[in-house]
Amino acid sequence: MSAQDASLSPPRSGLRAWLSPEATARIAAGIAIVAIWELAVRLWAPAFVARPSRIVAVFPAVVTDPGLWLAAGQTLGAVVQGLAFAVVLGTTIGLAIGRVPAVERFLQLYVSGLFAMPMVAILPLLTLFFGYTGDARLATVVFAAVFAIIINVSDGARAVPPEYIEVSRSFRGSGWSRLFDVVLPSSVPYLIAGLKLAAGRALIGAVVAEFYAAIPGLGYYILYNTRTFKHSEAFVAVAMLAIVGVLFELLLSRGTRWLLPWYRRDEARD
Amino acid sequence: MNIPHPIAAERKEPSASPARANARIRVQGLAKRYGALEVFRNVNVDVGDREIVAIVGPSGCGKTTLLRCIDGLIAPSSGKVEISGVEVTAPLPGVAMVFQQFGLFPWKTVFNNVAYGLRLAGASKAEIRERVPRFIKLVGLAGFEDAYPYQLSGGMQQRCGLARALAIEPSVLLMDEPFAAVDAQTREILQFELLRIWEVRPTSMVFVTHSIEEAVLMGHRVVVLKGRPAGVFEIIEVDLPHPRTRETLMHPHFAQLREHVWTTLMDEARAAELQLQR
Repeated sequence: MSAQDASLSPPRSGLRAWLSPEATARIAAGIAIVAIWELAVRLWAPAFVARPSRIVAVFPAVVTDPGLWLAAGQTLGAVVQGLAFAVVLGTTIGLAIGRVPAVERFLQLYVSGLFAMPMVAILPLLTLFFGYTGDARLATVVFAAVFAIIINVSDGARAVPPEYIEVSRSFRGSGWSRLFDVVLPSSVPYLIAGLKLAAGRALIGAVVAEFYAAIPGLGYYILYNTRTFKHSEAFVAVAMLAIVGVLFELLLSRGTRWLLPWYRRDEARD
Repeated sequence: MNIPHPIAAERKEPSASPARANARIRVQGLAKRYGALEVFRNVNVDVGDREIVAIVGPSGCGKTTLLRCIDGLIAPSSGKVEISGVEVTAPLPGVAMVFQQFGLFPWKTVFNNVAYGLRLAGASKAEIRERVPRFIKLVGLAGFEDAYPYQLSGGMQQRCGLARALAIEPSVLLMDEPFAAVDAQTREILQFELLRIWEVRPTSMVFVTHSIEEAVLMGHRVVVLKGRPAGVFEIIEVDLPHPRTRETLMHPHFAQLREHVWTTLMDEARAAELQLQR
């Protein structure tokens, strides 16, 4: 009974959420991890290895360094651009695979295979095509992101309830109207799920490309600072990547609620 | 089969008499097979301009398949369907279907769901602005124009499905167990609502149902499908007064007709059960 009550009550917010036992435990765990890290580095590691106290000390200098923001802009620019391209390409191919059996027969195997393949493996090939340039990074981002979107959108296109197709046919909808007015909107929730997956992979792809091909950006910023024994500076950039990942996830779930007011509201019924 | 009418003197003239003389729908020698499985064979039915024909039969007898053939959603194996003299090979203009599971698009509001058929029919924006609210009001959904289907009860969703079908001002309405997915009380309300709407704008209507009561209440004639493969076993004339209202349910002749259809259908159910026992 009490468990049911808890699940029915609205989520606690603000101060009360922070004071709840779970939150307190979570914060305590965080403090413990940081303390162990600090202690371990002080006891056993060389002085240049990143440790919490040094990170806090260099933080103001790093975040006011225009170089960091330039690097962040370059990496995120490539990620956003690559994701946009991957969404258009991935949705087109995904819809074709989901709705046209012949396309599915031809492409399904390659899509699954390329999705499972580590993107690092294709990076040397991409630098051959695009040189050690931002284009190679963009290509890596697209490659990293597009298959997650194709797979999700094709699942969505396959899962369109047959009844919707019947309604469209019964009201004499053309094939194109069925695609854009029925199949596509019905697949959008899958597209967003794919985009969430693709965003993480795209970020990894951009950083890995910068590592491998020394393309200016956050990845290269981390690499350069690590190699010049500025581990704490590098760590600020690492934290920045993590924050970007979290922010993107947040943006997408907020965006879903705003873009798809009709979706995931089953709990409102009855 | 004729059933003597017990209180013929009381019978009123139908307010909208079924004009059966000019058949709007002609089903001729229709059969549907899926490989070795023959669903139904040699179905012949005409539906008048302003007539409601109810099709009733045990589950799995192909009622819904028959309706889909009439709409042109699936092709018959043999025979043909004509609507307004045109052979049906694909869904025709002026024919609208109401679906058992409502078939509303969850990403469209009530307004846009009702406008769906009109938009596909090429209606202008002004026409849509004028017509859609009118039909939303007709089915009693005024005030819910901007609601999404998930915000509506089952009964309200089917009202929306009905408005979408009516909005294209069809001459033929095909109803595929439209009230089977709503609760019993809502179902009764919707039945009389539909009868009221039909009185205002009579069309040629095929009403598929597995409810005997509903078939007798709605239909001017009741087509009983039965057998394996199914065929038209009997076409029963429902000579009950018009307009059909709640009082129709109390009519002694209503009970008689319902019993008659029930017996017709149950004979088979019993025979099938006996065969299973053997």
